[in-house]
Amino acid sequence: MKNSIKLAAIICVVIMFVSANMAMAQKAGGPWTVPAKYKAMKSAVKAGDASINSVGKETYNKHCKSCHGAKGLGDGPKAANLKTSTGDFSSAKFQAYSDGELYYMSFIGRDEMPNFEKKILDEADRWAVIMYMRTMKK
Amino acid sequence: MKRIYTTLRISFLAFLTCILLNTTAFAQEEATEDTIIETPVERPVRPAFESGLLFDAATTTLYPSKTLEMIIQHRFGVINFCDDNTDFLGIWGASNIRIGMNYSILKNLTVGVGATKYNKMEDLQLKYRIIEQTRSNSIPVTVMFYGVAGIDGSVKSKWDATSESDSAKYKFSNRLNYFAQIVVSRRFNDHLSLQIAPGFTHYNCINKMVVSNNDTSYYDHDRISLSFAGRYKFSPQGSFILSADYPFKIQKISEHSEANSDKVFVAKPNISVGFEISTSTHAFHLYLANSQGILPQEGLMWNKNDFFEGQFLIGLNITRLWNF
Repeated sequence: MKNSIKLAAIICVVIMFVSANMAMAQKAGGPWTVPAKYKAMKSAVKAGDASINSVGKETYNKHCKSCHGAKGLGDGPKAANLKTSTGDFSSAKFQAYSDGELYYMSFIGRDEMPNFEKKILDEADRWAVIMYMRTMKK
Repeated sequence: MKRIYTTLRISFLAFLTCILLNTTAFAQEEATEDTIIETPVERPVRPAFESGLLFDAATTTLYPSKTLEMIIQHRFGVINFCDDNTDFLGIWGASNIRIGMNYSILKNLTVGVGATKYNKMEDLQLKYRIIEQTRSNSIPVTVMFYGVAGIDGSVKSKWDATSESDSAKYKFSNRLNYFAQIVVSRRFNDHLSLQIAPGFTHYNCINKMVVSNNDTSYYDHDRISLSFAGRYKFSPQGSFILSADYPFKIQKISEHSEANSDKVFVAKPNISVGFEISTSTHAFHLYLANSQGILPQEGLMWNKNDFFEGQFLIGLNITRLWNF
């Protein structure tokens, strides 16, 4: 009888522990609905431009690195606190997004991904960030 | 006074020289029937400073409209270097703290309120950006007006007449003090930004605010000052920061005769040096300073600590932004 109670208590604790961890596990974000206006946008900064590794990198490090990580792998210090996975910028799937789609996802955002329009005001600076993220490709 | 004017002139010329060395000339085409000259769209530079605050000085950085900035400014006690020091570098000593909120009504207009522990000072603040530096350098500097009105919340007995010769009676206006400044800044490059700011301080009532039995100094209601501030960014989020605030004794605006000019109290300059760490929504300052007052007028009018005599303290500021 005593052994049965002990066994039941252990099973309860295990179930509670597993449930808590499952609740805290990050979910991948669902597909983005990007308005046509943004889909059509093209980067104003060309690949290889000097601003990518200066302005783009500096702005990314200030505003994005804490969640997305230094190399965009989703391993920033704040990433673990999020319910949604921050994704992997080095992946082929991420790099396949168009410039405009990346712009919308980065600066308009949704849910846990904040809006950065008031943080990064200049259009050229925003495109420098997008192009810097493109350099994270594997 | 001649020395003061010379100092001001040299400082202004040095600042102007720094600006002119970075000025580039543009060649312009004459318009012809076949030539269409497109006027380039002027873009403002990225902010000269990471935050609207540098130590206790206002910078020319203003945020987009509907931005709320919360500020906590903390100054620990003056560090006691005596052998029997037990105040843990001033951290256990008498400290001063201010909590403030600034709100950007427009992209070039910010208003704020705050409360400071010393003298229970409440304050109202305003920042108005007059012109903004552009990336093409067509406008080489950012110019901003900064104003602070302080309301001393101390008990009324602080201003009541306490001697037969002193006929001052308490009025609410005794509590008021003001600070106004024109701030001129330039972002020279991605690393270096500097600013210079002449200012004016006025206290409505000083008669009974400072007199003690042993105090034989004379005090003025007004003080003209010149402030410098700068930052050197050594990493995307880290900067060295430095500022200096110099109050000047100018006989023409003093209410004491030249014969008594040596007895007029002038606050020691406030020197601040330290580090800034900035993130997307926060700025942190960790520094050494010598004025325990936090509002600009408090330091410029009353500071008795001399930085170069080792009379400095540890300061810590935190700012946080919310966008609506």
